[in-house]
Amino acid sequence: MIRGELGFLLRGIVGVNVLLGLVLLTVYGHDLPSLLGVLAARSPQLLFGSARLAEFGGGFSANILISLAAMALAMVAGTLLGNGLISPSLAIKGPCAAAMNVLRNSPWLVILYAMLYLLPFEFRLFGHSFNFSPFLKAVVGLSLPIAANFAEIFRGGVNSIPSGQWESARALGYRRVQILRHIVIPQSIPLMIPNIMSLYAALFIGTSLVVVTGTSDVLSVTRTIIATEGERIATGLYIYVLALFFIFCFPIAVASRWLELRLQSRA
Amino acid sequence: MMLLGLDFGWLADPLYIRWLINGTLMTILISVVGMAAAGAVGVAGAAVIHLRVPVLHDLARLLVELFRNTPPLVQLFFLYFMLSDMGLSFTDAAGRSIPLFGGFTCVVLSLGLYNGAVAVEIIRSGITAVPRQTIEGARSLGYSRAQIFREIELPMALRLTMPAMTNNIVSLIKTSAQASLIAVADVMYYASQIMLENFRNLEVMLVIWIIYLLIASGFAGAARMVEHLLRIPGFGSQS
Repeated sequence: MIRGELGFLLRGIVGVNVLLGLVLLTVYGHDLPSLLGVLAARSPQLLFGSARLAEFGGGFSANILISLAAMALAMVAGTLLGNGLISPSLAIKGPCAAAMNVLRNSPWLVILYAMLYLLPFEFRLFGHSFNFSPFLKAVVGLSLPIAANFAEIFRGGVNSIPSGQWESARALGYRRVQILRHIVIPQSIPLMIPNIMSLYAALFIGTSLVVVTGTSDVLSVTRTIIATEGERIATGLYIYVLALFFIFCFPIAVASRWLELRLQSRA
Repeated sequence: MMLLGLDFGWLADPLYIRWLINGTLMTILISVVGMAAAGAVGVAGAAVIHLRVPVLHDLARLLVELFRNTPPLVQLFFLYFMLSDMGLSFTDAAGRSIPLFGGFTCVVLSLGLYNGAVAVEIIRSGITAVPRQTIEGARSLGYSRAQIFREIELPMALRLTMPAMTNNIVSLIKTSAQASLIAVADVMYYASQIMLENFRNLEVMLVIWIIYLLIASGFAGAARMVEHLLRIPGFGSQS
């Protein structure tokens, strides 16, 4: 089965890039060589945010960093929220479910803007003051809806464990927290992994929105380049950015599909 | 009007209220047209892939993967620049030249492509859930492959996948907020106009947040009603 998925992955990557190349050719025609020259010269800037490769943290690499940080934050917050969702006490479950529904139904752009204005410029922790940079605000803003989705995945994973596991553990004298920690959650983690991977891919796609917070992500860099090189280059640049995102996200999507198929065939 | 130290006094201004209403209507219009486009793309794509139409089948699969795995925002910018580069325009009755692909068209196209690509996968997964016996029965009654798709697989798949489609509709409404970034006058765009005037950034954003929640839950509620009406008895969860 892994053979088939690998072939699909390669065909997809080659096919989509050929397709994008054809679009470039039809849009630019004879200007294509000069456009490719500009794209090649601007590649370090698009990928790393500066002309020198030594620096890291701008351009496409900023999108990767933001997605990793937001995912880490969202997994912590989402686990807490998910534990609230499966709580037997309605006083905990109700507010958690409400928060999850609100976060899942709000546009990410609105949450990002709201965080931009809600979070202070700096905050104090243990006597030190930290700056809330646009980068950090983007991370917090993106992690909120992802945390809500993560909580839902967590609940789904825990609920898919047969109730017999709960009953037999209870018969052995385990307490609720112990059952969750030692029996149910360890078994549900493999079930959650395909969904978590899809969620990460969705988050990575969402990092394109951080352009509104003023971080130097790949779209901000693209806009700067368009401003200096002229609008003629815009279509080519956006095709380049589409290809970047596709090459990053498509393997994750294929891997998560493969894992899910494997889980299904094992069940 | 003060609330928790936030100043909502600007909500009393009739101009701002009119802006918010116009923007909300625009967002709803974009969402409805975008849903129609996404539905059309979804059905057409699923048909081409399921019936294995030569050449188009491979192209459709590539396009579905491309649109599902790239940011709708980049797709929107790309469409906006490419279509305005091509400079297609038509002349209206007053003799003015109007670009054929304005911001609105680009937003609807990009939503139709992104959420349409998701819809293709949803419909295809629904088709696999149609029982084999039903299809064998249709074949023995002399239905052709296209007829089976049109009259049995597609209607059943659409009814079976309504919950996933509801999620897709909510996602489309949420994604439509990026229309403001190419200056289409939706509710998000008017919000930034209001913020430019009164600097009540946080308050305006909270109001916009609530408006989006209301729009999304309205559409989700309607979709759930349709889902309930169209449910196939004896299929799936009976909640």
